Amino acid sequence: MVMKNPKLAQGTRRKLVPLQVLVPVVSTVIALGIGLLIIAATGASVVEAIEAFWDGMAGSDFNIGASINRAISLALVGLGFIFASRANLTNVGGEGQIAMGGMFATAAALHGAGGLPLGLAFIVPLAVGTVAGAVWGGLAGFLKAARGTNEVISTLLLSFIALPLVYWSVESFHLLRKPISDVSSLPESAEIPDTTKLPLLFPDNGSPLHIGLLIAAIAVVVVWLVLKHSTLGLRLRAVGLNATASRRAGMRTSFYVILAMTVSGGLGGLGGAIMILGQQFYLTSDFSSGYGFDGLVVGLLSRGSAVGVVIGALLFGFLRSGSINMEISAHVPSAVVLICQGLIVIVIAGSAILTNRKVTR
Amino acid sequence: MALLELSGLTKRFGAFTALDDISLLIERGEVHCLLGENGAGKSTLCNLVFGVHRPDAGTMTLGGEPFDPRGPAEALQRGVVMVHQHFSLVPNMTVAENLMLGRASAVLKPQDIIVRMEQLAAEYGLEIDPEARIDELSVGERQRVEIIKCLLGDPQLLVLDEPTAVLQPDEIDALLAICRQVALRGKSVILVTHKLGEISRVADRTTVLRQGRIIETVAMEGADIRSLVRSMVGRDVQSAGSVLAAAVDIEGKTPAKSSSDVGPTSPGEAVLQISDLVYRDPHGVPRLDGLSLTVGTGEIVGIAGVEGNGQTELGLILAGLAAPSGGAIVVGGTQVTGCTPQEITDAGVGIVPEDRHAVACIKELSVAENLYLGAIGKFSRFGLLDKSARRKAAETMMRDFDVRASSPDVSMASLSGGNQQKAVLARELSLDPLVFLLAAQPTRGLDVGAIEAVYNRIRAARDDGLGVLLISSELEELMAVSDRIAVIYRGKLVGELAAGSFSREAIGAMMSGHAHV
Repeated sequence: MVMKNPKLAQGTRRKLVPLQVLVPVVSTVIALGIGLLIIAATGASVVEAIEAFWDGMAGSDFNIGASINRAISLALVGLGFIFASRANLTNVGGEGQIAMGGMFATAAALHGAGGLPLGLAFIVPLAVGTVAGAVWGGLAGFLKAARGTNEVISTLLLSFIALPLVYWSVESFHLLRKPISDVSSLPESAEIPDTTKLPLLFPDNGSPLHIGLLIAAIAVVVVWLVLKHSTLGLRLRAVGLNATASRRAGMRTSFYVILAMTVSGGLGGLGGAIMILGQQFYLTSDFSSGYGFDGLVVGLLSRGSAVGVVIGALLFGFLRSGSINMEISAHVPSAVVLICQGLIVIVIAGSAILTNRKVTR
Repeated sequence: MALLELSGLTKRFGAFTALDDISLLIERGEVHCLLGENGAGKSTLCNLVFGVHRPDAGTMTLGGEPFDPRGPAEALQRGVVMVHQHFSLVPNMTVAENLMLGRASAVLKPQDIIVRMEQLAAEYGLEIDPEARIDELSVGERQRVEIIKCLLGDPQLLVLDEPTAVLQPDEIDALLAICRQVALRGKSVILVTHKLGEISRVADRTTVLRQGRIIETVAMEGADIRSLVRSMVGRDVQSAGSVLAAAVDIEGKTPAKSSSDVGPTSPGEAVLQISDLVYRDPHGVPRLDGLSLTVGTGEIVGIAGVEGNGQTELGLILAGLAAPSGGAIVVGGTQVTGCTPQEITDAGVGIVPEDRHAVACIKELSVAENLYLGAIGKFSRFGLLDKSARRKAAETMMRDFDVRASSPDVSMASLSGGNQQKAVLARELSLDPLVFLLAAQPTRGLDVGAIEAVYNRIRAARDDGLGVLLISSELEELMAVSDRIAVIYRGKLVGELAAGSFSREAIGAMMSGHAHV
């Protein structure tokens, strides 16, 4: 029901604005309240947990930077989601697109890009990662256009292929695995060269915030412009709403289906590349660890709005940082935060029924 | 005592009042017609009686007892049956099997059904082979099965919602005769229609609905048809001329054409040439079987035929939405056989498709977006939309084509069917170049005022030198508008009549595959 939102947005936009803001805020508050109850139920000190949670989210310049860095990748996946959903396509394969993006970005960074001048050292791996994600998303678009394969299923299954591919690449010495130096060497890639790491925005104060923030900001503006104000956005919308009528009006519907999925996947791939180049610096088999699915949720919660993606990504980015710290210093399982995230989704999805009903009245 | 008494029935859907304080008596043994334009509330009234909807206010009595059906099952139990516009038969089962459906509890053996069918055949002339599969039957025969299904349980009241819309002329006659037979046996019939010709042939009394209210109920004996039309439309029909008369099928006769209705006597060169067009559906069944047709400049060629004889496929192929299996289509010298919709548009073809909602427009998009659906790039700079320029152009187009909407930015779904169709016509007739227009079922589901506007637009296009192909299942419409009528039967044209020699009987015979002219 959230995905079928374009119908709702049309014509009744003005009436909906307060509800669209109110619903996510209230559901977040309710979910966090329930989270606190669960923390209390586990026997941990609630005050301690909140302190640890806050400290992890925003306790220092470093933590704020780390939270925002997390939000960057989530935002890119979320933007990809709303881009596809503009054409009434549901890309649930963010996880796989991140994996492909991160893997190919690592490969590019380790094999050749390091010596390039003028920032190309990190731009080329970013581009390679984006293309890898785009191919992964575009594949689902192609299957949809050529064979009518449901993109929800194909993107999901493509993720199940991408994740083992990453595992394979870090397990195999002739691929990305670093040479064993001692018995404790893990199956992971070597660290990427310093030149390929994303430049920091504030190198002097110790914040890990990198230029991925600028890239994501540009992506937000571009996606917003394309979806709301461009001929391409209108065509995507037309094709998504009524493919036959769009075809009759002269649009090549297959092209737009493939394009929407390609761009969507590309944004996910860029998110994955930024995770490696900006923060993790080497590839591990589970480096994407749920970012794709969190990004999907961010896209869902945004109800098709680019601004909504930014807010959702920041929320989830900070929640993730907070939960990691809460687990380390207050011994509260970070699963509690995952439960909260789940609750937020359920409450928002549930209240979407409510808002939709209000609108049809 | 009346069989059914409605008093003060009101039904609202949200803010829209579909029926407003309806009070009406249906006598035993009468055929009572409900007449009204689309949206007048006829179907809603039927649905209240059959228990599909429940009234917001008012009461009903049936045979003197209170009647408040909570669903169709309860209505059926009380002896109220209804034939809907859309049939509820299982296509791959036989007639007898369909009649047994839903009666599992009532220990009916196949033999009993067949005996009962024989009784009905003797009483009403409702003959049909119990062993025939539904998908082998014609539309008229399927409807007959629906009626048999209704009469099996010996009901008191038979409700028929627009039953004649899908029938060819001789089938309509048979249906009306059945209605009389049912009434003769003391049962009551409520017949919904918007065709006056049928009413004058079958009704005892007629109730005219307009905008959810009863305008009048008249006994048909000695009634003035024209005053019924006036009540139904809300204005004098004389002003609208033969077009309107055709739309409501006054007296079931061909309206006389005024001189302005007839196009140039000799059409010019061919703009559309179809030769040996063949189309097989995905199951290999031929839907078009060697169809050849020429449309000249400045003429309107009508295609008559019972639905399902290849008209839909012809429309889809001309629109570029289906690829023919064989044959050729040439528009103004350009080969467009199997071309994409864009190439067909570029060749100068405007299309008003049969299915307005699925093909012609996107109802969630705004009127302006729909008007320029084929030219999205026209109002843009560097790929960004210039919405204000588009709005201005759309406003002009809406004024020129009398598309009534509060603004070009409202969604297409908020417009009436008539205004949606006017918008589609506006878009297609504003194409440049434009040499040929296909109008497939262009007035389906429209009210009289909009029908008139559509006819006028089609005529104006013809007068501007366009070739027009009009596909319609409404014979009156074809006879009123066309300069020439070709009849399609089983994917082939089986005959052709020139203006002046149109006759319902001749066309009807060809439509059922009987005669060549």
